[in-house]
Amino acid sequence: MRIGIHTLMVVLLLACSSAAAKEKDETPQFKTAEAKHFTQAEGVELSPAFGDYFYAELREEMKKAKLASEVIGEGETVDDADAPQSIVITGTFTEYKKGSVVKSALIGFGAGMRSLKMDADVLRRSDNQRLGGVHLQVKVDPSWNDKTMAKFAARQMAKDMKGALKAQAK
Amino acid sequence: MQAGQRQGELPASPGCARRPHREILMTLSVRFTVSLLLSLFFLLFHCSAAGQDPKPKPENTISVHLGDPIPAQKFANPPKFWISDVIDRSGNPQPMLVLKERGGIFLDRQPTVIVREALEESLRAANLLATDANSADLALKIYLFQFGLAQGSQLDLFGKVEFTVTVKNPKSGESLEVKAAGTSIAKTAMMKKNIQKNVQDDVEESLRDAVRNFVRGQQLKDAVGALRKNTDAAPAPAPNP
Repeated sequence: MRIGIHTLMVVLLLACSSAAAKEKDETPQFKTAEAKHFTQAEGVELSPAFGDYFYAELREEMKKAKLASEVIGEGETVDDADAPQSIVITGTFTEYKKGSVVKSALIGFGAGMRSLKMDADVLRRSDNQRLGGVHLQVKVDPSWNDKTMAKFAARQMAKDMKGALKAQAK
Repeated sequence: MQAGQRQGELPASPGCARRPHREILMTLSVRFTVSLLLSLFFLLFHCSAAGQDPKPKPENTISVHLGDPIPAQKFANPPKFWISDVIDRSGNPQPMLVLKERGGIFLDRQPTVIVREALEESLRAANLLATDANSADLALKIYLFQFGLAQGSQLDLFGKVEFTVTVKNPKSGESLEVKAAGTSIAKTAMMKKNIQKNVQDDVEESLRDAVRNFVRGQQLKDAVGALRKNTDAAPAPAPNP
């Protein structure tokens, strides 16, 4: 019985490690990826500093997610030969709610949470064809500052974007 | 000695019943005094620490360099640039102070010097830097708006370098603006030594990103195209009689 359990554990561990190795060895789907500063929809009150910070975090998360071989800055040129294999990410913050610490403490169950909704599109650089889109809502504790929320939002955005592009490729 | 009273026992006094109450009061007053002293000590320590501005020392000074030059974009007709001036427009009274906490972290040179050096290195490597101002096709005047760390979340370090370059054609006198910005996110640390290393890496990475954003930017390409086209099209100025 014990031997059986041990064998099962070893098999599971091997399977996990091989899956992780596969994930690590994965080559990026695109040559370059350019993230643009997200715009703000009407009525959304976020500071320009928030936009800057989100942009920096998104680029960092895109590098970590290996979305492309090279994550370039906004407005940088790309060789014509690489343009079909390059993507541009544009997006908009569609809704932002500051949340309420009092509501969160008194009611709980997600009430009074700070929330941010955003839409992003992935376009091919050469012909501006839409390759995928992400609609995301992030909710964080209202006592956290908006920059921390930006960090979580960027991480989630990069993850969802990668998922959307993989689904599109299949 | 009264009858029935044991030898060695103190006679019961009227205040004897109050003794425990008095002890409690004394303990409370000692606790209060100790707490007060501790609070005062912390307050004084905090005030003295807050009042002291960090001073640059060799152990809290970092040297920021670009490292390898950034490969510039290819121009159809490569111009020669000359950096005429770098002006600090950050409004920062202490431009060399990168981080105020933990005894401070300072730069070894002025940000304007660092940016000039980084841009010159990259332009020289791409053979786009003129030897002097007279032989340059285009003069660059740099206005530095931010250099160092910007306010981010408390979980990491947010490096940011931002500048605007006025690209001027000395022959026609026309000029165009090109914006460039670089950002970088790095992990923070607990130990001072590690914080210093992470800050240095972060600022260097954001500088690299900003220089790359400039030398490989579409804005520069458009500006160079427009300014040189105008020069080529414009007739040569007539000599004064």
